[in-house]
Amino acid sequence: MAKNSKGIEVAEILQDKCIACQICIGECPVGAIDLSPEGLALVDPELCIGCGKCQESCPVEAVKFERAGKKELSREDRGMPSEGVPGYEGVAVFIEVQDGEGVQVSWELMGKARELAEKLSTRVLGFLLGEGVDHIAREAFAHGCDEVHVSEHEVLASYRSAPYGHALTRLCERVKPEILLMGATHQGRDLAGVVATHLKTGLTADCTDLSIEDRTRLLLMTRPTFGGNIMATIYCEHRRPQMSTVRPMVMKLPERTPGREGRKVFHEWTPPPVELPHIVEFMGDALEGGMDIVQSAALVVAGMGACDPEAFHLLQELADVVGGTLACSRPVVEAGLLPYERQVGQTGKTVAPKLYIAVGVSGAIQHLVAIQGAEKIVAINPDPNAPIFKVADVGIVGDYARVIPEFINQLKNRMGA
Amino acid sequence: MHSVCCIKQVPDTAEVRIDPDTNTLVRAGVESISNPYDIVALEEAVSLKDRYGGRVTALCMGPPQAEHSLREALSLGADRVILLSDRAFAGADTLATSYTLSKAMEKLAKEHPIDLVFCGKQAIDGDTAQTGPGIATRLDCTQFTYVLKVDWVDLQKRQIQVTRKREGGREVIRGPLPALLTAELELAVPRRASLPLLISSLQAQVEAWDAKTLEASLNELGIKGSPTWVRAITSPPAREGGPAFDVSREGEAQAVSMALDTLMDEKGFLSKLLKRWEA
Ligand SMILES: Cc1cc2nc3c(=O)[nH]c(=O)nc-3n(C[C@H](O)[C@H](O)[C@H](O)COP(=O)(O)OP(=O)(O)OC[C@H]3O[C@@H](n4cnc5c(N)ncnc54)[C@H](O)[C@@H]3O)c2cc1C
Ligand SMILES: Cc1cc2nc3c(=O)[nH]c(=O)nc-3n(C[C@H](O)[C@H](O)[C@H](O)COP(=O)(O)OP(=O)(O)OC[C@H]3O[C@@H](n4cnc5c(N)ncnc54)[C@H](O)[C@@H]3O)c2cc1C
Ligand code: SF4
Ligand code: SF4
Repeated sequence: MAKNSKGIEVAEILQDKCIACQICIGECPVGAIDLSPEGLALVDPELCIGCGKCQESCPVEAVKFERAGKKELSREDRGMPSEGVPGYEGVAVFIEVQDGEGVQVSWELMGKARELAEKLSTRVLGFLLGEGVDHIAREAFAHGCDEVHVSEHEVLASYRSAPYGHALTRLCERVKPEILLMGATHQGRDLAGVVATHLKTGLTADCTDLSIEDRTRLLLMTRPTFGGNIMATIYCEHRRPQMSTVRPMVMKLPERTPGREGRKVFHEWTPPPVELPHIVEFMGDALEGGMDIVQSAALVVAGMGACDPEAFHLLQELADVVGGTLACSRPVVEAGLLPYERQVGQTGKTVAPKLYIAVGVSGAIQHLVAIQGAEKIVAINPDPNAPIFKVADVGIVGDYARVIPEFINQLKNRMGA
Repeated sequence: MHSVCCIKQVPDTAEVRIDPDTNTLVRAGVESISNPYDIVALEEAVSLKDRYGGRVTALCMGPPQAEHSLREALSLGADRVILLSDRAFAGADTLATSYTLSKAMEKLAKEHPIDLVFCGKQAIDGDTAQTGPGIATRLDCTQFTYVLKVDWVDLQKRQIQVTRKREGGREVIRGPLPALLTAELELAVPRRASLPLLISSLQAQVEAWDAKTLEASLNELGIKGSPTWVRAITSPPAREGGPAFDVSREGEAQAVSMALDTLMDEKGFLSKLLKRWEA
């Protein structure tokens, strides 16, 4: 344990653990920590007073600091009140509407909200905005919602950031939910940042897991960061609602109970008197004879190892046999062989099919983060060390051009064709 | 026209890895780069300046070494660059980050009113895509996220029209200035720095602003102004891999047959397949 010239036992930062989040830098009362030229935290031993705050605050245990009778810093020590935030209750889901219907991720979240609400012994709320959308409340009840709060106005007929942000903020101020969940869709992510900023509350992006911490009743929100290389668990202690956007297809769609009833509450809303943007035109994605890969129950995924037009006939045939759709890795899109809509991965789509067949896909982390929810993964690749085999339920080590025809034949036989 | 670009310095995440043996993040030798989406946004700002005249200012909040990103911005055509650096900014979540950046813009706007603010779609380390909407809300700008193309700017009528991504397709949308845009990679193709600009960027003094310059409220900065808190960091949950059958050992027919046996082992798999996955 290092001591400085004043005899104080100083903190030391383990360079192989530090992720440069800079939290300790903000916490150190004497400004003894800086980022080194390598971009990692570094303690100036002569400035350090040995208070241990950096160690208490580091999320990855990258601070080496020992002290007799070491105690955990209480919230009071950090200058924070320890009780929760009173006056906020209920787990709310923002119901995203497309073509007059609630989108699937909203119902997935309703299921999760039900689970969280049961732990908290509270209600599930739905927030619904639009024009002529109140019929959607019935679907919300069927998916486990207890109360739907609706604001309707012609200005809300199509999504625009500012009026939606304003209306949803108003609903939060009136209903005061302790938790607000939204789908991490383009719209959800566009809107969540607006609402969190109006409400000055914490927002955790693109979560893949949510749970309630028993001791504190706080929402623990887990999300991939650093391009999917690490998972961070985040919480928001002092502001409400605790807000989170959640990826589609990661939470389980709850069982639908037709006829389940709930309460519907209408809230007046007047748009702020400002000039709003105007949508000139909408151009839908051409899905070129295929299905949306996110909706497809089976996917045959082409990687660089099967990236030529010839291969695609074979892969399409396989896709037809298994009742699936052709998708691909990013380099295949970059090579211009398939459109972006077919890309699976961190910068493409997150998928959770029943069957996922990877052909010539190596299994880079940016690809794997988006297939966590797949039920069965099959990999075909001649390189036995390809990382895809580490996650595949079944692997075939070999050349696709010879394996796939055999695969199709045998599968057809077993299917009795 | 005055455009302000927000540029974040980030670790090159393509190189960040978890060491499977020690379960820690391996950052040795990982370089810091400018967030790629931000460089695309800067390119669009500079080419709009070429088209409509005006100036481009680049802002970066970060530690002193983040000034490298600002020198890069100068070499790519920014007219002025400002580093926002102060211990009080450290540990900021997106609420505090958008506060700090918008305070800087309020100050800039006193000299030259701002017409356009550019952000990247998201930073490749934090990945939240929340900073842009936060700034737009604080500055009361028209918000356009996931922008693929700027169709035109009309400085007389104070309007802008863009094409942006949204669920199921793309939309053409127009609205009043000032506006904040977050850039998709398709928005522009970054140029290469010209030699004279590269040299002058290396010699330039990078202006630095701290909390005092911003006249910022200390309670809204850095850790103090951040409602979110990181509790733990872990590596992604590992999926249990199953068996792999090697064609060179078993031959195609046998390997495929064993693989299918493994798949069919699960009860109901074949019937689900036969029913085309319909429940
Ligand atoms: C910020 C960022 C975001 C990214 N986002 C994505 C994303 O969204 N989606 C994505 O997929 N990637 C993404 N990537 C790229 C990713 O890092 C990988 O480069 C990419 O996934 C690799 O694609 P691949 O597996 O098809 O190709 P490769 O890695 O080149 O693998 C090809 C594989 O084919 C095998 N092969 C060769 N011959 C045959 C044969 N005859 N039969 C069968 N197999 C054969 C090889 O053994 C090899 O394993 C991203 C990268 C970055 C940095
Ligand atoms: C592991 C981990 C997880 C985190 N999770 C969350 C979370 O869930 N919620 C949360 O609120 N914060 C979170 N943070 C903090 C967040 O990363 C920082 O607030 C960061 O300053 C901005 O967020 P971002 O990196 O996601 O940027 P984004 O919001 O994705 O960035 C969008 C754009 O904003 C601009 N921008 C962002 N930061 C800067 C900057 N410093 N200087 C100039 N321009 C900038 C750039 O144009 C950028 O392209 C997390 C941090 C860590 C280390
Ligand atoms: S022990 Fe205290 S004084 Fe020393 S570096 Fe850590 S926080 Fe700063
Ligand atoms: S808090 Fe921990 S991980 Fe973050 S900068 Fe400090 S030492 Fe590094």
